Amino acid sequence: MNPMIRKELRQRMRERRGWLLPSLYLLVLGAVVTFAYFVTTSDGARANNVQGSTVGVVLFLTLAYAQLALLLLMAPIFSAGSITIEKEQRTLGGLLTSLLTVGQIWWGKFVSSLLFVLLLLITSLPVLSMAFAFGGIGPWEVFSATVTTVIVLGSVSALGLYCSSAFRRSIHATAVSYAMVIAISVVTAIIFFVRLQLYETAHVRSGNGVAYAGWYSIPLDVRLPMYLNPFFFLTSSFAPPSELYPAWATCAVVFIAMGIISVVLTLRNLRHSGDA
Amino acid sequence: MIAVEQLRKSFDGTRALDDFTLHVGAGELFGLVGPNGAGKTTLMKVLSTLLEPDRGTAQIGGRDVRTQGREVKRMIGYMPDQPGVYQDMSVREFLEFFADAFHITGARHRAAVDRAMERSGLTDRTRDSVEQLSFGMKQRLVLAKTLLHDPKVLLLDEPATGLDPIARIELRQQLKLLQAEGITILISSHILSDLEDICTQIAFIGGGRNASDADGHSVIQLRAPRAPVRVYEIELIGESASAESIVNAAGARLLESGAGRMVVEISGADEQVAALLRALVTGGVNVMRFDHRALGLEERYQRAFGEKRT
Repeated sequence: MNPMIRKELRQRMRERRGWLLPSLYLLVLGAVVTFAYFVTTSDGARANNVQGSTVGVVLFLTLAYAQLALLLLMAPIFSAGSITIEKEQRTLGGLLTSLLTVGQIWWGKFVSSLLFVLLLLITSLPVLSMAFAFGGIGPWEVFSATVTTVIVLGSVSALGLYCSSAFRRSIHATAVSYAMVIAISVVTAIIFFVRLQLYETAHVRSGNGVAYAGWYSIPLDVRLPMYLNPFFFLTSSFAPPSELYPAWATCAVVFIAMGIISVVLTLRNLRHSGDA
Repeated sequence: MIAVEQLRKSFDGTRALDDFTLHVGAGELFGLVGPNGAGKTTLMKVLSTLLEPDRGTAQIGGRDVRTQGREVKRMIGYMPDQPGVYQDMSVREFLEFFADAFHITGARHRAAVDRAMERSGLTDRTRDSVEQLSFGMKQRLVLAKTLLHDPKVLLLDEPATGLDPIARIELRQQLKLLQAEGITILISSHILSDLEDICTQIAFIGGGRNASDADGHSVIQLRAPRAPVRVYEIELIGESASAESIVNAAGARLLESGAGRMVVEISGADEQVAALLRALVTGGVNVMRFDHRALGLEERYQRAFGEKRT
């Protein structure tokens, strides 16, 4: 086993946040799902003869999006401070002059960051089972949503590690990581909706009107920012297997490419971090 | 064992190392002395593969630090000027992690960790958290970690900084023992008396370049057990040409000569010194003064850097 992974996991589980964060995470997730359940099964909803399967679908979707949002908030905590902490406590030099390669150092940091986030993902399974109990969703939805969430978290963790390698202080690396998460989650959506509005306005003025026939009837240059958006990526994963291409596949390629670029830049930074 | 030739390293246009050259033989305990910002830490980082030089070569045991970094890492133990520790680990866990990081496996792993604990004097504190150790103890722990993989060369950047006098004495003793084990040690320090006590040679560095003392020496031989080298200052009456030939015939090295004064370097035991004096007197040279010139390291340092500071 890579000694970095063993060291990182040991250190992480000793931290107070090692148990505090999973507890908080489950509390928030439980509260969100409970709220969604009561809204779905409230008097007004019951009047509309809500089916059990509908409750299951609503709970599952609420859980999937809430989970992704929470994990996107947590991933930078684990990754962005991961290399800067070595710089702050002046242990990076010791690692770099050992026989560990920069690849092994990166892999140790990445796996431990990702494993902790995956641990949170796994702890939410009991909450997810509530949605299963109502029906309406199958293993495929759970599988595709989980794979999508893991790809997003892997890319965000790689991005956080890049920030950690580029900055000297954890606070700066974490702030920039959050800025990046906000950029891909919120800014891309804002750009998309603004451009969509402009596109619609232009068409209405020209008297052509706008008649959308699905996602792909929107011009590519308007759609483009959404391929970087993790929530759109998750939404595209709910499609049946035959319809995963091109939306889900494009998002997957974009996120994996973002992760790979982050890895390359992080390794380069680590190789040149002797003066840190 | 350490060969540095015309090494250059710049940061944002400022040359931290400017054609610096250094040679350290196997088994030496070699001191590197210079004021703050002289380039000592940069040199240590280049030698430990943490920094790539812009120009020049640096080799350890014949391996180039730039192109054979992995082989160099196997040979060196590097202790930075501010050594870091993992505060939340126990002493044993800390050493075990670095034993793993140096790919020490099986029975050697346990033996290396146990030996490191003994070396650091922390055998009875194996389960203690690193955080609980004093600064001096942490320094010893980091030195022990540096020795885990039995390096042939130790690169110690200001290891005595922040240590109390007792800890400094213990460090000096430990370094002497390590040298006796055959380890080549390159140490930089501001505490000149420490270096004078333990080093076999000292090199001056200033502004990233080889600096020299008032006598033009950039490297000073402090002690060499097999053939001690001493410098004598001789004052004589009359012309010194005959004295020079006697000095050369006696196997001494003439360093300076002129105006009734000579500075010679004599290699060997006291008998060689006595033989030179006898040869001069019997050769008809009127010797007025025959003095051992024993400049202290502090005096040499002052001569090398003192004037530039004022």
